Amino acid sequence: MSKINVPLGPQHPGLKEPINFGLVLEGEQVDKATVNLGYNHRGVEKAAEERTYIQDIYLIERVCGICSHSHTTCYITCVEEIAKAEIPERAKAIRVIVAELERVHSHLLWLGIAAYEIGFDTLFMYVWRDREHVLDCLELVAGNRVHYAINTLGGVRRDITPEIKAELLKRIDVLEARTKYYTTLATEETTVLARTQNVGVLPRDLAIKLGTCGPTTRASGVARDVRKDEPYLIYDKLDFKLITADTCDVFGRVVVRVLETVESCKIIRQVLNYLPEGPISIKVPWKIPEGEAVNRYEAPRGEDIHYVKGNGTDRPERVKVRAPTLANYHAVPHMLQGGWMADVPLVIAAIDPCMSCSDRALVTDKAAASSAVWSWEEMRRNGIEFYRRRGVDFSKVTLK
Amino acid sequence: MSDLELEERFKKRLEEKFGGDISESTIQRRRRLWLTVKPERLVDLMRFLRDEMGFDHLATITGMDLGEDLAAFYHTTDQHNIITVRARTPRATPVLPTVRDVFPGTESYERELEDLFGIKIEGLPPGRHYPLPDDFPAGQHPLRKDWKLTDAYPEPAVKEAK
Repeated sequence: MSKINVPLGPQHPGLKEPINFGLVLEGEQVDKATVNLGYNHRGVEKAAEERTYIQDIYLIERVCGICSHSHTTCYITCVEEIAKAEIPERAKAIRVIVAELERVHSHLLWLGIAAYEIGFDTLFMYVWRDREHVLDCLELVAGNRVHYAINTLGGVRRDITPEIKAELLKRIDVLEARTKYYTTLATEETTVLARTQNVGVLPRDLAIKLGTCGPTTRASGVARDVRKDEPYLIYDKLDFKLITADTCDVFGRVVVRVLETVESCKIIRQVLNYLPEGPISIKVPWKIPEGEAVNRYEAPRGEDIHYVKGNGTDRPERVKVRAPTLANYHAVPHMLQGGWMADVPLVIAAIDPCMSCSDRALVTDKAAASSAVWSWEEMRRNGIEFYRRRGVDFSKVTLK
Repeated sequence: MSDLELEERFKKRLEEKFGGDISESTIQRRRRLWLTVKPERLVDLMRFLRDEMGFDHLATITGMDLGEDLAAFYHTTDQHNIITVRARTPRATPVLPTVRDVFPGTESYERELEDLFGIKIEGLPPGRHYPLPDDFPAGQHPLRKDWKLTDAYPEPAVKEAK
């Protein structure tokens, strides 16, 4: 049978974000696959050099919409290390709570998407309904559902009151119970098994060789987790299990993620009950001394690594971000090879890819070339003008 | 001293093996070792780190503009410690060898060095631009310190939507 080339993406109904896979098909089977990246480059690293450390927190947060807390925490631990700032224990604990809530949120989001790619839309709807609980929790703690902006230089911006704690504990119980139900479902339901077992196989040695990270690696039987291997914040004081699976397929990736969600619920409960008294932040000078630091962080998708170099001013000399997805991409062609065309979207989704994360970085707002940063008023004026030209008048609307 | 025993051991082992080819090796803190290697020994050092010392994961490569020189920082890890290997190359003719033979998953990191810093990676097969767009002006490398946004986009077109 003759082989045909099928380009998948950058715009394709089976993908959520722009990426391109070149598939060589022999009938319905994938003979060879290649991956092309770079459709979402925004120039974040360059932009970070032109902003202050504080402004960069909010820029780095926008590297990714899902693991926004992961990126800021990783970045800020580097900055605090250079500034030799030891942040209060309570701030560390709050950072861990948000981090684990984020993991629950990310893994449930992923489980929903996986269910959708499998064609099990009921599960997708159920999971995303329950995910609202964790988004509410995040809003309660940070004031925002997605970009929490809880981190600041020297600690966190908001405290956890006894009322918030009580509400979180209540919601965590619901989430844990639901996740346990999904664990049973994902490991026993025949449709899920049929679609995931022996699909997208990545053998253990290949997972290590290709430098993969996170749940993708752990599902190939490699026990790697930055929280265990190189504990940051207060993870060395917490009791939780490192979840692995040895099936090396999509099924393993489902199992790892649902069980990790349960572990995260346990961590949140532990930290809430541990929560030491004290201040939530310390003052750090805006000018950061010369120095460099490199730190790793276990984001929901895997190992996140940031490098920051300070030059004695209030702006960093260099910020480097490597999001987990970029480490996992090059394993995808191996997972696809020999598989079926119909499984392609699911296998791609199984690494929980995030294109913005990996392509990151150039803020080229052509219309605003004269001013690099817009003020809130300028932005609002622009928004009103934009809609006015299209026949909608928002100028009477007042914002509170 | 005793709490940095492991880091001292890493340092000693590398210095014994590579002698004068590595310099500036410093233990920054617990779990962090930094050193500079001559570019011609980079691949050997990477292989030694992977095969003999268990640093089997290259987490990422950070490009740097140091003025006279450009540099690449290779952050390798054994999951508990990070050894960062710096390799410098002159700005006029920036060339570094590829480490793909040792760490096959690093293609995008090396393409980033080529695109964003203009460091030629010897041994990297020809391929698409990454992460810059295909029509990005040749010879421009955004993460170099002397690059300005207007270099690539000289006349920002301010379009009035009618």
